[in-house]
Amino acid sequence: MNDNIPWWSSETFWKKTAIWVTGFMFVVLVVLTLDTLPKISVGSERVPAYSVINKHIDYVFNDERNIQVPVIGENAPLFGKMLTEEEAEALVTHGKKITQGRNCMGCHTLLGNGSYFAPDLTKAWLDPAWSSEPEREQYMIDFLMNPEENARSFGSGRVMPDLNITEKEAKAVIAFLKWMSSIDTNGFPYNFTVLDREE
Amino acid sequence: MLEPVELKDFFIVFFSGAMVIMAGALYALLFAWSRLQSKPWMMTLAYLSYIVLFISVMALGSAAHLTGFWWWLVITMLIGYLLAPHGIWKLCEATHIDEVPNKVQPTLPPS
Amino acid sequence: MSFEHLNGGQQLAIKYYTVAIGLFVAQILFGLLSGMQYLIPNFMLGLLDFNVTRTVHINAMIIWLLYGFIGSVYWLLEEESQTKIVGLKLGNIAFWVFTIAVAIVVVVFLVVQSGPGDDATRWFINEGREYIEAPRWADIGIVICILVFFYNVAATFSKGQWSGIAGVLTLDLVALAGLYLAGMFYTTNISMDQYWWWWVIHLWVEATWEVLVGCLMAWGLMKTLGVSRKIVTTWLYIEVALMFGSGILGLGHHYFWIGTPEYWLTIGGFFSALEPIPLVAMVVHAVYDSGVKHSKANNHPAFAWLIAHAFGNFFGAGVWGFMHTLPQINLYTHGTQWSASHGHLAFFGAYATIIIAMMYIAAQYARGQSVFDGNLPDGGWKWKWSLGLLNLGVVGMTVALLISGYEQSFIERAVGGSTWYGYFAAQTHPWFVEGMWWRMVFGFVTAAGIVLLVWDLLTIGKSRKAKETLETSAQTA
Repeated sequence: MNDNIPWWSSETFWKKTAIWVTGFMFVVLVVLTLDTLPKISVGSERVPAYSVINKHIDYVFNDERNIQVPVIGENAPLFGKMLTEEEAEALVTHGKKITQGRNCMGCHTLLGNGSYFAPDLTKAWLDPAWSSEPEREQYMIDFLMNPEENARSFGSGRVMPDLNITEKEAKAVIAFLKWMSSIDTNGFPYNFTVLDREE
Repeated sequence: MLEPVELKDFFIVFFSGAMVIMAGALYALLFAWSRLQSKPWMMTLAYLSYIVLFISVMALGSAAHLTGFWWWLVITMLIGYLLAPHGIWKLCEATHIDEVPNKVQPTLPPS
Repeated sequence: MSFEHLNGGQQLAIKYYTVAIGLFVAQILFGLLSGMQYLIPNFMLGLLDFNVTRTVHINAMIIWLLYGFIGSVYWLLEEESQTKIVGLKLGNIAFWVFTIAVAIVVVVFLVVQSGPGDDATRWFINEGREYIEAPRWADIGIVICILVFFYNVAATFSKGQWSGIAGVLTLDLVALAGLYLAGMFYTTNISMDQYWWWWVIHLWVEATWEVLVGCLMAWGLMKTLGVSRKIVTTWLYIEVALMFGSGILGLGHHYFWIGTPEYWLTIGGFFSALEPIPLVAMVVHAVYDSGVKHSKANNHPAFAWLIAHAFGNFFGAGVWGFMHTLPQINLYTHGTQWSASHGHLAFFGAYATIIIAMMYIAAQYARGQSVFDGNLPDGGWKWKWSLGLLNLGVVGMTVALLISGYEQSFIERAVGGSTWYGYFAAQTHPWFVEGMWWRMVFGFVTAAGIVLLVWDLLTIGKSRKAKETLETSAQTA
């Protein structure tokens, strides 16, 4: 009976094809992953070291790549204090853990992934909502500690709930946000207006 | 390098993106149906769907600025979608050989 | 009701199905709450904030689909392997451990909600990563329960007999359990975090789950339409080749904007264009099959839900996915209501539908009926209406979210440059707000559908006496 079925449509042929295709694609994925991991490690060109929070960060259009890219500038220590690499890592790590513990992703997106009930946080550090660079740090602390009174809902009526964030925690979260804004995300978000650069 | 879509082309991009898949499926559906029922006139409709697919891919390609590598992707999609139903149909027939083959062409007596 | 005529695996399946339906109801309830919070911003503020309701909404979905898959596999296990299940007791223990763990996680999500930024929070309260919010202890519990499940499947097939479906299923479960581990570590580096996070999310949802439902579909087609085993097996292999061939590297379309190198734009774009191919194959083969197979389906509700699965998969995953998958477009749609629109139709269309189909197949045998056809005592109005309402509800929500998402990508992303101001300008735009209202309306339609579905599953076939012509398969083992 099986003789009637041409080889290219037989069960065994497709069984082998399925195995080989799956195996091949998986190997390619592993190879690509091995190539990608160093390129997205902290301290690489695309994902800067945590001490980048000591620097001024900008997001500028790059003609060659035809997208906006993060630009690391001169010293601009967060909360006026230069940190060592270890101190910066500890602070950003604390901030990241707070964003997970408070389930920020339940409302916000980070690098565009998460929920869609509140603004994307990828470039939150650079957002014009913080008025101006000199005022930014204090405004962010005030907002995180008391989001209902310092709401930035732009007439939507939507407010961030009070998550009992202390000042120490707020600073850590801001450090994480500042570091995240320095990641090269291939131009996402597009056409972003940076704080103090409005025309 | 990406060339972002222009504002005026927004709707075109989404609509043509949807039409690529819809027309592709309709082409496949009508193709299979025509073969199954031995109705050649339906094949005309199938190829009409392919023309819609072709136009959609072209519209998508120009609105989304698919040039360079992306242009090759467009060409591959067009050729691939043209041939895919043929290949899959052959596969269908071949895998069903053992299973009362006469049902596909009801006019023939059972072998 | 007595389930004594069912085999061990089937009795276990009924338990899994029961919890699955309970969580499905919870998913929809919390979905309604989340939807309401878009319309009334202060709704339950400070009590159950959006991040809580939404987290329960999506986690209940993931877990009920898992319960549905596990239940479905247990349902077919003894029949497919031609032998008694190896570790029924172990399976029962795992079921209760899993269920108690899920209950604890849900209570903690609802009552404790959040914790300080330390490791204990991630271990015991909330991991804070979308879809895998479950705290670490529960992750470990899930892996153990999945391993018990895997043991039962692999050992039962080894003791009895292997088949093509059994082989694909077993290997797929290895991948499914293994991939979950990729999400079980902490890193501060958010690019690295999301790189591995997508291994879990994409390679589950767009690869291993698709293959798992491919196995269920193959088995379901044999059961409801009597398609020959040889053909469904060959086509299962074809689908695996096409699905993994396009889907594994299709992972690239999640690596456009998370810090990963630019070559992922090319890889993601290319394999995204390939991803519709398995769907085209399904369309052609479905037409061929329906032409060749003149035999009537013996279980109308199950068959109708299988059809809903084929269409839902095509539209939800295929059309809605491809619309915004190319990076030139995704730049504007990534992280907007587009994703929500796609998510609603794809999860329901590809997965909820087929599990419901399997539940109807189970209900038929559990109630000792040889057929669920047009001669149901009440004309089958309940299953027909729940089918209609659930599909109408989800499609309605999908279209409403699509309109909101289209407006959002335009106003917030393209014009507003994705600033907070741009975000809220989009959220207050009439198109967006109206889209959200319609989503709510269709949310209630969906909720009406689930009420009917539960009622129907509890009652269908109960009033009719079990026919003596019970299919032998229901009595084996």
